[in-house]
Amino acid sequence: MSEAAILTEGLSKSFEAQTAVSQLNLRIQPGAVYGFLGRNGAGKTTTMRMLLGLVRPTKGRARVLGLDPTNETELLRILERVAFVPQRKQLYGWATPTELVRMNKAYFPRWSDDAAAQLAKRLEIPMKTAFKKLSIGNQSKVALLLALAQGAEVLILDEPTAGLDPVMVDEILRTLVEDHVSQGRTIFVSSHHLGEVEQICDWVGILEEGRLLLESRLEEIRQEFRLVIASGEGLPDVASKDVVSATTDGRFRRYVVAREAEGFAAELRGQGAAILEISPLGLRELFLHLVRKEDACTPGNVGAKPAPVSSFS
Amino acid sequence: MYAWKCWRETRASFIFLLMLSTLPALLVTLGPGIKERNGWWHFDRSEYTHDPALMVHLVSAMILSVLLLSPFLSAVFLGATASGSEIEPGTIEYLWTRPRTRASVTWIHWGVCLAEMVIVAVVPTYLAAAVLGALTRNWNLPLLLLAPWVMVIVGVPMLGLTTLMTALRRSSKGGLIFTAAVAAVYMLLRQIVTVPLHLNLPALFAGPLVWLMTNHQPDPVAFPWGSLCRAVFLAMAFPLAAQYLLKRAEV
Repeated sequence: MSEAAILTEGLSKSFEAQTAVSQLNLRIQPGAVYGFLGRNGAGKTTTMRMLLGLVRPTKGRARVLGLDPTNETELLRILERVAFVPQRKQLYGWATPTELVRMNKAYFPRWSDDAAAQLAKRLEIPMKTAFKKLSIGNQSKVALLLALAQGAEVLILDEPTAGLDPVMVDEILRTLVEDHVSQGRTIFVSSHHLGEVEQICDWVGILEEGRLLLESRLEEIRQEFRLVIASGEGLPDVASKDVVSATTDGRFRRYVVAREAEGFAAELRGQGAAILEISPLGLRELFLHLVRKEDACTPGNVGAKPAPVSSFS
Repeated sequence: MYAWKCWRETRASFIFLLMLSTLPALLVTLGPGIKERNGWWHFDRSEYTHDPALMVHLVSAMILSVLLLSPFLSAVFLGATASGSEIEPGTIEYLWTRPRTRASVTWIHWGVCLAEMVIVAVVPTYLAAAVLGALTRNWNLPLLLLAPWVMVIVGVPMLGLTTLMTALRRSSKGGLIFTAAVAAVYMLLRQIVTVPLHLNLPALFAGPLVWLMTNHQPDPVAFPWGSLCRAVFLAMAFPLAAQYLLKRAEV
């Protein structure tokens, strides 16, 4: 197996009594477009900040391109090869995008002036206007331009489309997809806009209260994951290792099953249950089933397929 | 490139401070020659040539008194733009994800501010000295020639203190307020200890400035070397503490 672009092993972060990230195991392959999903405060931003050395892990380890972000020397090498678009796209208000490009260029040996010029033209960024005078949409575009022209191997994007209108969102997503197709960069993008993730990602990880509930190929979710609704007495919380979650809705019990849904349904029938529905799941339904908390018996990550943990060499 | 960014961010303050020092220094230099005759203002150069040595002494003292606060003001206003001040507005995420060490960022900023402080101290003093020398034709101006360097020596610990306070408070405004508070508390405590107890405490690091202001002719024997050493120590210690703080900071 090739070296992961991003790898975390038991990565945890607590801020005093508050656990932001707990025992996170991620393995993101080079060239993947990985959607990191979760509600507000799920720990997405903290995870990204740990990967970039902005926050130190309380426990566990992380590697970005095989390098350790907690080691200052290795962190500098990571930062040369990784581009980051933070959630708050806050750059120097007095600087124009042209000045920001000039400033950024000096930091990165693989900076591409051609890419910067093309992106500026394509995204119609007013390059001579001070950053603070730009609209939020244009500020996001500037942040994206700086990240893409940097010539990075990995893009870490923390909610790159937050607060943007649908046209702007579409433009940014198309830019990302085209960049991915032409450059083959690894993209690690956090979002709680599931439609966007479905549009561009090939992998998803769902985080809730700092724990990774599920990590899967999007294709696999579309093809294999099923919602099984059953009714009956004494139905089990979890009947199989393939059950990702089980929730109770009145007299009904809803199971999200990662694979072999028919076999699982047959097992329930054998226990006297009536199977009302077996239906494919979209990312949205899957996400909602995993993160909803109203039912005490929601097992969270029970049965979820955890990320393969690799040993650090 | 970070040096350019520091310059670009401090440029306005730097120009303001330069004007704030240069204009009063030139005014007090030319002041003795400005006379009123028949309702008209004119410049009488003979004021400078009656007793050139006395005039040099008097005007030098006046120049130094108007420039006295300049190193402190430069240090505090320039120092408040240190990298710690970027934490509150959020630009620090951009800065700290560039492939540069936090230590280098701290020291580059410190270096740019030091260079600006030197210019703010040297230009007005030497310009005033040049005008005074030309008017009196007396070029024996040791006080004025030494003054900017003494002012810089005394100002640099304040630059470091502001850098540290800015890192501690994570904002420009917080850094400014805390620096002012620390300076005020120190001076107050010093007064409390000195006046009732009749103790003659040496100045912590402002000794060279006191020496400059109380000597007509600089006397190397009376130079407060201890105070100079403390100034140099604090000038290095404060930014080092800021560097340590920022290295460990999480955002």
